Amino acid sequence: MAEGGAAVTAATDVHGRGASDGRRLFEEWYAALTSAPERGEKAAYVFVMGSLVELLRCFDLHVVFPEINSLQTAVRKVADEYLNLAEDHGFSPDVCGYVKADYAVQVRSGEHPMGRIPPPDVAVLTNACSTYIKWAEIWERMYEAPIFTFDTPGSRVPVPLRRAGEPVETPDWASRLGGGFLDADSFEADRRYVEHQLRELIEVCERVTGIPFDIDRCREVLRLTNEMGRHWRRVLELNRQSPAPFDAMLEGTIYLGVANALRGTEEGALYFENLVEEMEARIADGLGPRGESDEHYRLVFVGVPCYPIFRRFYELFAEWGGTFVSSTYTWFASGGLNRDFEYDLEDPLGSLAEGLLLGVREATDSLMFPDRALIQSIDEYDVDGVVYHPVKSCRTVSTGLAASRRVILEERDVLALYIESDMMDKRVVSEAQLKNRIDAFFEGLRSREIRIAGSASASD
Amino acid sequence: MTDPSNTTSGRDPVTVPRLLELAPGAGLDETLEHCRDLVEAPDPPTVRRWRDAGGKVLGHFQVYFPEELAHAAGMLPVKVRGAPVERREADSHFGSYICSILRSSLELALTGRLEVDLFVTHPICDAARNLAGIWARNLPQPARLLYFPQNASSGFAARYLEGEYARLLAEMEDIVGRRVTDDDLRASIRVFNRNRKLLRDLYEVKRETPWLLSVDEAYCLLAVGGLIGREEHNALLERALPAIRERAARPQDKMRVVFEGGFCEQPPLDLLRSIAEFCYVVDDDLLIGLRWLVEDVATDGEPLHALADAYLNSSSYSPVQHDARKPKEKMLLERIRDSRAEAAIVSAAKMCEPGLDEQVAYGQALEEEGIPYFLTEFEEKMTSFSQLQIQLETFVENVLFASEDWEEELLVLQVRERH
Amino acid sequence: MPYAAGVDVGSTQTKAIVVDASGAIAGRSLIDTGANVVVAAETAFQNSLRAGEIDPEAVAYVIGTGYGRYKVEFGDDQVTEIVCHARGAAEMFPETRTVLDMGGQDTKAIRIEPGGEVLDFCMNDKCAAGTGRFLQSAAAALGLELPELGPTALRGRRPVEISTTCTVFAESEVLSWLARGKAVEDILLGVHRSIGSRSFGLLRRVGIEDEITFTGGVARNEAMVKVMNEALGVPTNVSEESHFMGALGAALFALERAQLQEAPARRAVGEG
Repeated sequence: MAEGGAAVTAATDVHGRGASDGRRLFEEWYAALTSAPERGEKAAYVFVMGSLVELLRCFDLHVVFPEINSLQTAVRKVADEYLNLAEDHGFSPDVCGYVKADYAVQVRSGEHPMGRIPPPDVAVLTNACSTYIKWAEIWERMYEAPIFTFDTPGSRVPVPLRRAGEPVETPDWASRLGGGFLDADSFEADRRYVEHQLRELIEVCERVTGIPFDIDRCREVLRLTNEMGRHWRRVLELNRQSPAPFDAMLEGTIYLGVANALRGTEEGALYFENLVEEMEARIADGLGPRGESDEHYRLVFVGVPCYPIFRRFYELFAEWGGTFVSSTYTWFASGGLNRDFEYDLEDPLGSLAEGLLLGVREATDSLMFPDRALIQSIDEYDVDGVVYHPVKSCRTVSTGLAASRRVILEERDVLALYIESDMMDKRVVSEAQLKNRIDAFFEGLRSREIRIAGSASASD
Repeated sequence: MTDPSNTTSGRDPVTVPRLLELAPGAGLDETLEHCRDLVEAPDPPTVRRWRDAGGKVLGHFQVYFPEELAHAAGMLPVKVRGAPVERREADSHFGSYICSILRSSLELALTGRLEVDLFVTHPICDAARNLAGIWARNLPQPARLLYFPQNASSGFAARYLEGEYARLLAEMEDIVGRRVTDDDLRASIRVFNRNRKLLRDLYEVKRETPWLLSVDEAYCLLAVGGLIGREEHNALLERALPAIRERAARPQDKMRVVFEGGFCEQPPLDLLRSIAEFCYVVDDDLLIGLRWLVEDVATDGEPLHALADAYLNSSSYSPVQHDARKPKEKMLLERIRDSRAEAAIVSAAKMCEPGLDEQVAYGQALEEEGIPYFLTEFEEKMTSFSQLQIQLETFVENVLFASEDWEEELLVLQVRERH
Repeated sequence: MPYAAGVDVGSTQTKAIVVDASGAIAGRSLIDTGANVVVAAETAFQNSLRAGEIDPEAVAYVIGTGYGRYKVEFGDDQVTEIVCHARGAAEMFPETRTVLDMGGQDTKAIRIEPGGEVLDFCMNDKCAAGTGRFLQSAAAALGLELPELGPTALRGRRPVEISTTCTVFAESEVLSWLARGKAVEDILLGVHRSIGSRSFGLLRRVGIEDEITFTGGVARNEAMVKVMNEALGVPTNVSEESHFMGALGAALFALERAQLQEAPARRAVGEG
């Protein structure tokens, strides 16, 4: 990791610091991964939902996020090389692009635009995404390394998600659900199962690394994640301001990368402390994601970004003065940091189990039933429109979106755009088609705006 | 259904209606035809008959569900497995890149063709996990998720699963209005043990004398089990099996194949018939959930524990269950070996992530072992099989007439629509 | 007296409409788009002026719409065809609340307010199944011209079930039904029903509210209209001008702009 949490840019120059520090930290992270094998250091493969990075840090394991590796190939415009290789080996065009790109990275001995990805010495995954399981089975076949598949059961009844425990009105359909699945006892039963598995995982890590588990070290790592989480939530909350200081789809995704890669480190905690400062400075100076704020429409993004044309995708909205003030990606892909939850340092393992369970459950539930949390965001962030971006190759984030959209349109006076593309495969990304629909969406927002202005002046 | 006060154990046989409309003396052909009609009906009349008689129905989505629980509670467990119907209501609830069975299962429910009192779905894949939410929003009956353990080697997994079973059973008790005792459960396990034995016999017929029973016929006899009570299914199989063994058919020069498809979505019967024209399907994973437990479940001790333990420790394999002790490609090779198959037909439903992912591992393992295989995709609603037939015929010819040093590539036919 | 114009540059045809100050159609034209989109836009516009005997100088404002909207180089602004079709449909049938627009590449379901403001819209996925393109593939396989499709399908009595979800495979599926001895009219009726069922799903996604107006080139196909009416259970509004709806909407927007002399509100226009 970064040597001594090195240079943080001078405070006078806070604008854009999050982006540049983020880039530097990312490069350092990949450099460390590249050189890990020659130093005899070991690597653990993990996933953003339920990463358990905190525990792995206690064993000096480098963390590799294959999802991030894969999306980086798309952002760096080389995804098709990797996808084609995987498809040549028999993968279907219709399956997860992340899986395929990682498969090709493994086949190519870790060759990656950001460096060389070491093979896994251990891999940890949860059932947050069923495809994680299919993915890790590929490694099971390729490597001798132990692969630990965590059961983190989600809600047993399709409950509407409430963010941060705040009450939201319960829709009629939810009252039909009832059942004995939501009580504290059943949660405790799940938490015990998770804690039991944590202890099993600790034994695996001790065996792989030869390092005994140190509870005090674990406590310290958890403390740093707590700190990072507090700052992260503050950053997200500052976007309630109008104009919003940052774009949650574009910049939010960069911040998210740091949040995952540097959980439980000094640099990570410091990064987000600085980011709060940057956002506060932007607000004070009336700045938005594009400098002098030109925010005209406040939007929520739902789904995974369109990485093959990441910057252009953002511009299609920015050209109309659209700013993503919130993004569900910053919830479900933040490893639970968006929740108002802090690890109890008096009970590190019990609390780690609880955090993992809550984080994964919220991630999976929010993918299935994002409407209550979305409605809350629409209200809190003063949102004009919701942009649903289901992607072909990720059914985890995409399947529930059509249904969610129906609910949102019934309950709030917003416009909701539904555009399908992919997060990896540019064959499924038609920019002209996207632009057409995005333009029509803004034309709709504009006439809505005129209508609202008209009815306001009529009532004057 | 029954007055809760006077029933503490055992189901009242009077309340169990006969669901098949088959004369007791019906011959084999008539029986097969009746099963075929039932299996192909998008609006299963057996379920309607059960409800008309005042019975409660538990619908469980693919792949596996411990039907013993519903049986013990006096509910009819019904396998929800889609249908090749026109979708008018369901599509607007899903995006574009979702398999057909999810949409058609919801369609059946939304259009009232399938009515259940409790719906249980399993997070077998990322798409299916969403079915419970969409179901609950749009239908009045309760919907539940059952998370089966994917960490099969955890020391806690069986205990966890037992707890899940207990909670679901409590919900069923609420629905039927009576308690389910351990003895009820044991009685149900016995009925299902008998069913498992009969289904193993059915598959033995396919394996040992495949000319007596085609894959589509066997499928109908199996699938009807997901639509009727198990006692009745047992009786049906007990009559059908001897009749099948007495059939006059003679062996033909057809290739012995294993048909593997990670079947959640069901292939159309015509697809099975197309395969049967050229091949003897000597084993397959069709409706594997109805045959998931491969041995008798213990009837002494704690019944819920026995069921949970069997799920983990004496079960078949599927792309949607993770168990490091059972690598799927090794299990497939075992299935091929055990059934003395010469080749494999490896299929997957369109847009089925687990099935399509598994195809890759299957293909690689089969190539390593030098076992010829034919790779294809299917959809429950497909109606045109001519393309498939031509390719399959070519494949079979190649394998049957291949010389020792035949080019390996020719033995691997891949059929995939590339968009 | 100022005129305003709308030019709808679609994937197969380009349409132009000129309206007078009252919004009445004063000139129109329709040509094949062909390979040169810029020329097509210009030609269609000039033809519509000639048809209405209108002096080009009298046209105060032009809006381009359709896929080639940025190729309307003489235009003053661009508006997507989604919004234009909604506006055109509301003009023709003021009680319209839902618009189904079926074109060569795209099918759109649009829910609108009185007056034509778009409340919600959905379009087919990237794949062209369920659009006019699907009909073209089927026509090619059967060796029929597009205008023959509707009348032929109307003679169908026992429609076949078309299972492919892919336009590319439509042709081979049609051929396989022919090989199985099915009548051309039954195959075609099956093709129409398959498109109708997908479009119905799209409409369900935005919510179907009466009245429903069916626009776009495919709305001129009687069989498609019949299939949609059956699926919806109510008759749809179909105008003789159905394929001009986008151009009409664009012309009406242009007229509004001309009258308000309002500069376009958008900040920047970037073309993909």
